[in-house]
Formats: sequence, structure tokens, C-alpha cells
Amino acid sequence: MTQRSFQATIARLVIDPEFRDRVRADGAAALDSDLTSLELERVIAVVCNKGLDYTRTLHKSFRITKIYTMLPLTRALLGPARLAKEIGSFWKAELPVSHYFIEEAIAFCNFLQKRLRSGLRIKYLEEIVAYERANLELRRPRTNGVSAEPQFVKFDHDPVTLFTKLLSGKPPRAVPALSCRMVGSLGQDGEVQWDILNK
Amino acid sequence: MSQLASDIDFFLGAGGSRCSLPLIERYSLEIRSLRLPEMNDPSSVRKLGIGLLYQEELRPFIESERARFDFLEVVPDILWTDQGSHANPRYIEATHRAHFLREFSTEVPIVLHSIGLSIGSAHHFDREHISQIADWYEWLKFPWHSDHLAFISAEHGANELNVGVTLPLPYDQETIDLLAPRIAEIRSRIPVPFLLENNVYFFEYPHQDFDEATFLNRLCETSGCRLLLDLHNLYTNSRNNDIDSYALLEKLNLENVIEIHIAGGMEDDGFYQDAHSDTSPPAVWTLLEWVLPHCPNLGGIVFELLGSWYIDVGADRLAAQLSQMREMWMRYCAAPQPELVL
Repeated sequence: MTQRSFQATIARLVIDPEFRDRVRADGAAALDSDLTSLELERVIAVVCNKGLDYTRTLHKSFRITKIYTMLPLTRALLGPARLAKEIGSFWKAELPVSHYFIEEAIAFCNFLQKRLRSGLRIKYLEEIVAYERANLELRRPRTNGVSAEPQFVKFDHDPVTLFTKLLSGKPPRAVPALSCRMVGSLGQDGEVQWDILNK
Repeated sequence: MSQLASDIDFFLGAGGSRCSLPLIERYSLEIRSLRLPEMNDPSSVRKLGIGLLYQEELRPFIESERARFDFLEVVPDILWTDQGSHANPRYIEATHRAHFLREFSTEVPIVLHSIGLSIGSAHHFDREHISQIADWYEWLKFPWHSDHLAFISAEHGANELNVGVTLPLPYDQETIDLLAPRIAEIRSRIPVPFLLENNVYFFEYPHQDFDEATFLNRLCETSGCRLLLDLHNLYTNSRNNDIDSYALLEKLNLENVIEIHIAGGMEDDGFYQDAHSDTSPPAVWTLLEWVLPHCPNLGGIVFELLGSWYIDVGADRLAAQLSQMREMWMRYCAAPQPELVL
């Protein structure tokens, strides 16, 4: 028996729907050759079981919760359809590697910033992602005695108006232009404090 | 509390000590007259009573309703951040929460229920995780600890992925052969019983060597691990996989059960989900009532509720849940006495 390959296959069936669909279509031909005949039989049985799809639903729910809870402004700005599309692309590019929320959310911010540098154009997204990423950076766990470096975020639009509209669920249209920087720092109480500079 | 009383309390647990302290006064019992239990011997496990899973959102309830539970169960992985095996330090404690736990542990026993070991992962046995649990044992002195009978991480090419879901292990001899030396290592490093929780699963593997009960019995016999019997997992599996819970329980060696979990869940997309989102459904209470008289070594019953559902459930229903658990505990499990040599 080849437990490592078998487990890798089961895990991949959960996280990778394209692989799952290939196995459904092509059977053993889509699988690694080092699986035993019993393992192949089990994989084929699992891939035909609707419980696999539900397991994937649980996996997706857990993973998407990290982004939903950690990046509320980015979520509000993108809206459900665009967010789902970007998360789908992110998941194709990045494996789930940790239980923890902050690392996954920062990785998604990095992904969106890369997309912005590659030409993605969504108004206000650059500012919002930079702000939420900096917020997470401040909240990242640290060993005792290591303080968080202050975070600076450049804005081209009034951040207060922008945040207020996003948090109220309104589309942030016609936010007044305002060139400023926000600085975030971590207080003694563990809470993040943001201030506007150069207003 | 005197040293003698605290030592007695160690063996009897919070529930037992209420009954045992008058005994101490009557017989002027000396500590050397107690027959000391062997480490990992299930018959020596402390009878803690009713437990509640710690969630940060439940903290007001935990602090204000202290009399409603005898111990707390803590998922240690939420009190530290595991930065991965490449990082140094790998584990960073969540300072505020860990501080609360340190303070609270002086009043209430704490047991650990980890999610981070992935003990069934064939590609890797995470000894650093065991070291972290062992470090916490040094200050927390938990009476037992547990993890999940599953694999969560697996290889993906040259990388390792974390599915975030407890995936089922085949009930095969090969799986026992994988787990037994790992469990032995854990038991040698942490001198209290180590429990594995029966898994919840949404698909099964065909042609397994054993049924679930036989597998669990053999795993315990071979490895010396004990069971965390999650009745809500069992109920969930029975709903989704057409399993007869009572047939499984009749076949299971319930002497191995040190802890029981109960919880509630929800219907979702044609499945019943072990969501920890509600109080326990009637069928789980019936299972609990059936199983309690058959678990001679039970140390505690824990209710699991995710913090995000606390607002929906509410303090009153949570309190009622714990009261019902206590009533059953008192009926079937209370006032066990250790063997005394007088």
C-alpha cells in the first residue's frame, strides 16, 4: 500500500475540482500509477460519492471564511461575484497551507496586489487592499518583546468617506479626491490605531 | 487547600473531591495510603464531570457561569499561532488568551483537544507539535489530552497542503501500524492518557479490514491510546452514511472511553453537518443516556459550541444544556471513589 500517495490523492480530490472531474471522466488513467489496485478502487469509489463534494464544500467554507472575516472592506468593494472570481483564481495559484486566518488573508492581499500590478483595474482597490493588508500586518502574531512596525498607506481618495460607504454596504462612487497617508500602529492594549497624515 | 487535599483532588477530580473531603477528615487519611494509579491507566483517570469547550466568544458565560461546569476543554491551536515547521520560533502564543487560560487554570482543570497534529498523515509525523503540547503540560498539568483520528495535511508535489477538514483514515491494519508507534511516542513524552476522537466523515472507503468499532478497539489495544467518543460525530455519520450507532456502540469497548463530546449541528445541502451550531438534538441525548452506564472510566462530558453561534443559542439554552449534562452525570457517573487502602 502507498499511504502517502493515497492520502495526497484524496486531499487533492477535495481541493482541486478539475482533478476531481478528470478522475471522474478518465478513472484510473488520471491517477498516479503507484497506487495499489485497492487504493485505485477506493479513489474511484470516493470520487463517485457525493460526500466528496460535500467535503469540498466544507473545505471551501473554511477557507473562504478566512477572507470574508479578515478583509471586510475588500469584500464589500469587490462584491460577491467579483470576489468569488478572484478567490477562484487565488485558489488555483495558492495551496491551502495553514489553519490560520491571517496568513491566508495576507496571501490573498498579495495576490490582488499582483493582479493590480498586472493591469487589474478596480477603482479604490489598490488603496483598500493596501490598508487591510497593513492592518493584518499589525495584527500578525509576534514573539514577546518584538513590537510591530508602524504601517503607512497612501490614499488618493478620502479614506473616511471610502470606509464609511463600504461599511454601510453602499457602492463607493464619487469619493472625493484626497492625497494623504494613513499610519497604523499597535497600542499597548493590542488594538490597532489608525491616523490620517497630511490631510 | 492543603497539600493533602490538593493531592487527593488530583486523583479524584473536582466532582469527586466534594464527596471525598469528608472521608479525609473521618479517616485522617495519609497520602501514602492511597494506591497510586499508573500513568495512562484509564481506571486512574480523574472524574472531572461536565466540561465546556473554550471559545473566546463564550468568555463572558465562562466567567459568570463558573458553577455550571467542572472543567474547560481548550483547543490549544487557537491559543498559539503555528507559523510552520520552517519558522523559528514556530509557535507564538496569543498573549491575551493564553494569559486568561493561565489565570483560569488555577481555578478549573483544563484539558487540551488539539486540531494541529494530523496524526494520520502518512508523509510526516509532527514531533514539534508533540513538543509544544509537552511544553504546555509542564505548566498546565492537564489530566489527559486528545486529537482527531484523521489526516488533515498531505503532500502535494514538493509541498504540503492543509485541507482544513479531518479526512478519514481507512480502517485497516496498515493504518494501525502507522499510528501505533506515533501514539507510543506521544505517551512516552506526555505522562497522561492520550485520546483520539472518532472522526466525522462524509464518504467511506470500500473493502476496509475492519468496521469502525473493531478498528477503534484494536487501535486502543495495540497502542494504548484511549477514546474521545464524540456522540455527535457518531450521530452525524449515522445520518449521512446510514450507520447504526447503537450497533457500533455495542461492539465498541467502552472501557476505553475517557471523554465524551456532545454538540448540535444543522442540515445543509442534503447532509447533516457537525457544525457545533446548536444545542444537542434529542437523538444525541438518547445516545448519551444509553452509553453513560457502560463507560466505567469516563472522566468528563464536554459540550462543543462554536463561538460564532453563541448569540443564536444564547446563555439560557447553553446553561440548560449544561444542566441536563450534569443531571445525567450525577445519575450515572458521579461519586466514583478510588481504591483506598485504609
